[in-house]
Amino acid sequence: MPDDDHRPPSAAPAASPDAALPAAGATALQLVVDGEVVQAQPGETLLDVARRRGVIVPTLCHDDRLHPTGACRMCLVESSDSRRLVPACRHPVAEGLQVQTDSERVQRHRRALLALYQADQPEAVVPGSELDRWMRRYGVAAGVPALENQRQGRPDDDNAFIRFQPERCILCARCTRYCDEVEAVAAIGIGHRGPQTTVVTAEMRGLLDTSCELCGGCVDTCPTGALVENKALPRQMELADLPTVRTTCGYCGVGCQMDLTVDREKGEIVRVASPPPGTTTNDGNLCVKGRFATGYVGHRDRLTTPLVRDHATGELVPTDWETALDRATASLRGVAARHGAHALGFISSSRATNEENYLVQKLARAAFGTNNCHQCAAT
Amino acid sequence: MTNSIGEIRDADLVFVIGSNTTEAHPIIAMEMKRAALRGAKLIVADPRATWLAGFADIHLRLWPGTDVALLSAMAHVILDEGLHDRAFVEQQTEGFEQVRDAVAEWTPERAEAICGVPAADIRAAARAYATTRRAGIYYTLGITEHTHGTDNVYCLSNLVLLTGHLGVRSAGLNPLRGQNNVQGANDAGASPIFLPGYQRVADPSVRAKFSAAWGAEVPETPGKNLNEMMHDLRHGAIRGMFVMGEDILVSEPDVAGLDAALPGLEALVVVDLFLTETAKRADVVLPAAAFAEKDGTFTNSERRVQRVRAAVPPPGDARPDWQIVSALLQRAGVDPVAGKAADAVVPSDIYAELAGLCDKFAGIDHARIEAEGGLQWPCPLPNHPGTPTLHEGGPMRGKGLLVPVQYRGSIETPDADYPLLMSTGRTLYHYNVATQTRREPGIVARQSACFVEVHAEDADALGLRDGGRCEVATRRGSIEAAVRVTPRVQKGMIWLPMHFAEARANLLTIDAGDIVTGTAEYKVCAARVRPLPEPAAG
Repeated sequence: MPDDDHRPPSAAPAASPDAALPAAGATALQLVVDGEVVQAQPGETLLDVARRRGVIVPTLCHDDRLHPTGACRMCLVESSDSRRLVPACRHPVAEGLQVQTDSERVQRHRRALLALYQADQPEAVVPGSELDRWMRRYGVAAGVPALENQRQGRPDDDNAFIRFQPERCILCARCTRYCDEVEAVAAIGIGHRGPQTTVVTAEMRGLLDTSCELCGGCVDTCPTGALVENKALPRQMELADLPTVRTTCGYCGVGCQMDLTVDREKGEIVRVASPPPGTTTNDGNLCVKGRFATGYVGHRDRLTTPLVRDHATGELVPTDWETALDRATASLRGVAARHGAHALGFISSSRATNEENYLVQKLARAAFGTNNCHQCAAT
Repeated sequence: MTNSIGEIRDADLVFVIGSNTTEAHPIIAMEMKRAALRGAKLIVADPRATWLAGFADIHLRLWPGTDVALLSAMAHVILDEGLHDRAFVEQQTEGFEQVRDAVAEWTPERAEAICGVPAADIRAAARAYATTRRAGIYYTLGITEHTHGTDNVYCLSNLVLLTGHLGVRSAGLNPLRGQNNVQGANDAGASPIFLPGYQRVADPSVRAKFSAAWGAEVPETPGKNLNEMMHDLRHGAIRGMFVMGEDILVSEPDVAGLDAALPGLEALVVVDLFLTETAKRADVVLPAAAFAEKDGTFTNSERRVQRVRAAVPPPGDARPDWQIVSALLQRAGVDPVAGKAADAVVPSDIYAELAGLCDKFAGIDHARIEAEGGLQWPCPLPNHPGTPTLHEGGPMRGKGLLVPVQYRGSIETPDADYPLLMSTGRTLYHYNVATQTRREPGIVARQSACFVEVHAEDADALGLRDGGRCEVATRRGSIEAAVRVTPRVQKGMIWLPMHFAEARANLLTIDAGDIVTGTAEYKVCAARVRPLPEPAAG
């Protein structure tokens, strides 16, 4: 736990539309950012102030959901209260502070730092990752020789969902802090020393033998692609080029928003990720079912054609839609004719959409004349 | 939920009862854990030591089915110590005297004798809840799936009203919905007593409005709820069923009785993704599209209407349910959407008809959700921002109704023949009857088969070995499961998940429902367990 507490304000937009603004009532401070006088509240960080003004300060280890640690050094800026550059993510505002977020000195630092990260990545940086985006934006200083990367992974981890690629890790500890502070299961941590420092589990066990709940939040928060969904791993370098579709999870009643990366040609869901923190109800989080249990969608057991029972053999046999729909209508009508509409029951689905539930109750009431209609979760 | 999910992390007290939130609503549990790590007080009332109970400041470990005793004692403490919100009770509620009288005798000591929670913990929980303003109650099926489920909910709403924790951010009374669209299915009128928007079928003016809109008469005869329909099916009064997206032969209580009654059906039409146990018995099976293959809206627990979007095409000839039901409506001579050619209907048209008939949703349409994101009802006008917190201007019904409740024991409790209390529930890794999650190999690797949680002392007495096989039997039937010896359950109770078709927990559960809602008693019945011989090696 860091010694000072500069947790950013809670960021769910629907719940607190004014979260980005300083709290009313507290005494405002004045400081100068890039030559302009700006207001801030005690307890805010330089990063909070910069972001509110639309100033881009690059970050790697920062996640609004986590206590800032200043570990990655990406957000260093010049501040008049320090001779050295300071991490904007955890440096508190103060009255009269003079801050430079984009000076020559800051830019030189960014290029040098990114060059060091580059030297520590034996392979090409994952396109679309945060590290990739900053490298593209700031360029990378030339001439830093590649480092010998000695971080260990967990080659025997046989969990089916989450893969750790140690060679891509920059030890920013976003994953481990997420696991501590948001999912709060503390399954992973930073361990070993010196060049062997890496992301560890207890005794380097596979995740299935730890307290891990397989939520995959570590994957979503990773800025380099060192953590990746197993399923997406073979296509990791092209993920950024595939289309995504925003939708609502089909499992529980939380209503998490999710971005499905799809391969339209194959009709496949390649990965499921959360929208960024602070933008939807789930605040960047998903659970094991939402993120990983979508395999049923394209499963070979899916029904692909209507079936009707053959009265001669007693078997269900494939048929076309017209035949099946006619048969469904006739059989339900037959019951109503013989026994009255009250002998019919309609069970709608709490998994189906609002539109579909609306149509089912309309079918029961307007088409078949009964209020015997209930959704499946009623029991 | 009276309040919103995003408010949880700003709460000063979170009271979770009858909700295994970390497993059933993991994302809401994350918010609760974040609140607790930030310093909010967390009170968890649950018979089991759930993961969330491990984070709690106070774990009220009650005996299953004794919620009314526990909650009555909490209300007793609040009134006895004068911790209730007098002004709120006077101005905003009615029925105070009756509730005061009903809880007068429920001292924490009396409750302790029934529910097993130490009186000191009951007092501490009651005091903390009553004296914290931003204190929210969260509950799920551990409250409602009892023969006294409605009583349990009244007890909770009494606590909220006595303390005035209503219409306040991060407070309120918050049932967490189990399925993605339980809320929306109710909202859309998939109910025997409500037309869309909670407009009562019994009201002639409501029926007239819908009849005119649909060009077909809305029947006056009250409908049967699901529990009653299942009863009638067993007794031959229901002869034809249309079942969309539920495997009733796995998920309904006492499935053996249901199974025996199915041949009596003259028509069974099933719409589903898979050939479920129920679909195998159908006359007609219609293949549906999964959530990622269709357009429409779901409404979450906090009443937020959000878009579902087609990302991939359905397999083969499968179609979205809305297309299937539209085609059936068309065959019956009813327009799926009034004034629009049936073939041209799209989901946004259907939502528009629904919203046009319901003040609560009148300001919501697909285009607005596209532009603004999800909207929380009530949202009566196109420029209305939606409603994150209900009852902010006082209780919506005018005065909040305090309802006196008397404690009743569960309908079937352990006895000499069936000496263990059996409760059922869900795990993190599977979803309901697991037709979806068991088709994900990585999930199955984590949790592959049914298990029953047994306390170590009971295991010793019964000769059960952790990891060994056992038979669990009730008066309805029996299943086989693996033994899991664990301190998560109390001595004298067992617990098992309902996910596994080859070990259907609902062969065991009792067919009894809440007298008001019909919601089934999945949480308490009597059972016995015996070890089974280990399969021979090789």
